[in-house]
Amino acid sequence: MKDPAITLENVTIELGGKPVIENVSAQIEKGMLTAIMGPNGAGKTTLLHAILGLRPYRGKISFGSFAGARRPRIGYVPQKVDLDRGSPITVCDFLISGLTTRPLWLGSRKPNKQECLQAAERVGVGSSFHTPIGKVSGGELQRVLLAQALLGNPEVLLLDEPAAAVDISGEAMFCELLQEVHNDLGLTTLLVTHDLSVVTTHAHYVLCVNRTLICAGTTEEVMTTENLNRVFSPHMNLFMKTHDHQSINHTKDHGPAA
Amino acid sequence: MDPLLDLIGRLLPFDWLDPAFMRRALLGLILIAPACSAMGVQVVSFRMAFFSDAISHSAFTGVALGLILGIEPRLTMILFGVAIGCGVLILARKAELSTDTVIGVFFAAVVALGIVIVSARRGLTRYFEGILFGDILAINNGELWIILCISALVVAFQWVGYNRMLLLAMNQPLAHSRGVRPALWEMAYGVLLALLVTISLRAVGLLLVTALLVVPAATARNLARSASGLFWWSSVVAGVSAFLGLYLSYVWGSATGATVILVAVGLFMVSFGVRMAVK
Repeated sequence: MKDPAITLENVTIELGGKPVIENVSAQIEKGMLTAIMGPNGAGKTTLLHAILGLRPYRGKISFGSFAGARRPRIGYVPQKVDLDRGSPITVCDFLISGLTTRPLWLGSRKPNKQECLQAAERVGVGSSFHTPIGKVSGGELQRVLLAQALLGNPEVLLLDEPAAAVDISGEAMFCELLQEVHNDLGLTTLLVTHDLSVVTTHAHYVLCVNRTLICAGTTEEVMTTENLNRVFSPHMNLFMKTHDHQSINHTKDHGPAA
Repeated sequence: MDPLLDLIGRLLPFDWLDPAFMRRALLGLILIAPACSAMGVQVVSFRMAFFSDAISHSAFTGVALGLILGIEPRLTMILFGVAIGCGVLILARKAELSTDTVIGVFFAAVVALGIVIVSARRGLTRYFEGILFGDILAINNGELWIILCISALVVAFQWVGYNRMLLLAMNQPLAHSRGVRPALWEMAYGVLLALLVTISLRAVGLLLVTALLVVPAATARNLARSASGLFWWSSVVAGVSAFLGLYLSYVWGSATGATVILVAVGLFMVSFGVRMAVK
């Protein structure tokens, strides 16, 4: 790997005394879209939380590619948020709350509001800026979450099954938007998913995880019947018959825009 | 504190505020109610009403322990309440149990312990009427100072933590990615809430203290159109309930705390009607 942004060395994570992730060593290439793939309960989200600094772990997670090897600014898109549907908190409030600690009850400053509006418009939810966040649709909500992750000029984008709660067309639209943002900003992007179509269409690199690292490499290298059988189960034959790995969609851009 | 009470007398020259104890009660309520309503915004977001109930019910045991040990009961009540709050939050993080279950266990433990102590030491029961129903009219200057300090702490917390708590209520990893330390902020919030609840028992009593947290915040949800509006409507509703409740309790000769809560519930009903009408 030429320029790893994140390096995992023998990372082991335990939950309640039981290992969820064991001895995972891998590198995440800077400026590329890497997918962490695996079945339910494989430890994908836990690994993402460790990279985020939220979970204690053994081993080492380093950020060598960033100045001073410091922890980079991270934008995070969760799988879901705990929304109170009747709450009057607007999309604008939500975005500003992540941008500044000045309490919302004092009113928001115009530059902050402007920055948040631009982020919302970038992902196509500008028209919902003053809508209560509990009232936006599932697809819009995922875009709002992406907008908040992009605030504050992040260097790394972590996404935890961001389109799991939306329908197929919503997922496709979100992934296209993600691809567009990735190409425009050249962010190191780490995407947790178990959707093979998303991986084959959008990811440059893939880490297959099922408690341990099963395989890693470019999408073309990893997305083989043999590897998928190792990660998931023999039922993957069904997928591979309809998604021949030779026909992986190469519309994704192999590298950030200059 | 006396200059402040004199100022209230000059600004609000009503007959019913002539007695010093009424002005002290008004000041106490005007400080406590908006502080509770501000913290109540998060109580509603985090669904922590049951937590508040457990803290308020721990007051029984806290006071009983103070009386048995020969320590100032109000001090043991506050310390015991904060200790129970911390215990709930720590166990909820460590144990693989839902927060509600952990609170339920603590709730049962503190109430049972309080009943055991009180029933074993006859003669203690007379101390508990004030805790059950509150007694804001008997508040003294020392207690007002404590309330003032806790209210200042609440304002400081809401100043630095309002946005952070909003993110935390939505998603912890997301809040963490924005520099919020979930465990630290949850603990700070829990300790402050426990302090506020035990202090507020003097105003409305343990049976109604949760209402002082929840009802103004719930009313604000019906009226507000933003996070800012949520905070201000909640504070205004709490302040109006405190003032009107004290006045009506004077007119009717009723218990002040309960009258304040009744006014707050009345305002909630009005706000609900407004919301339905706007829809």
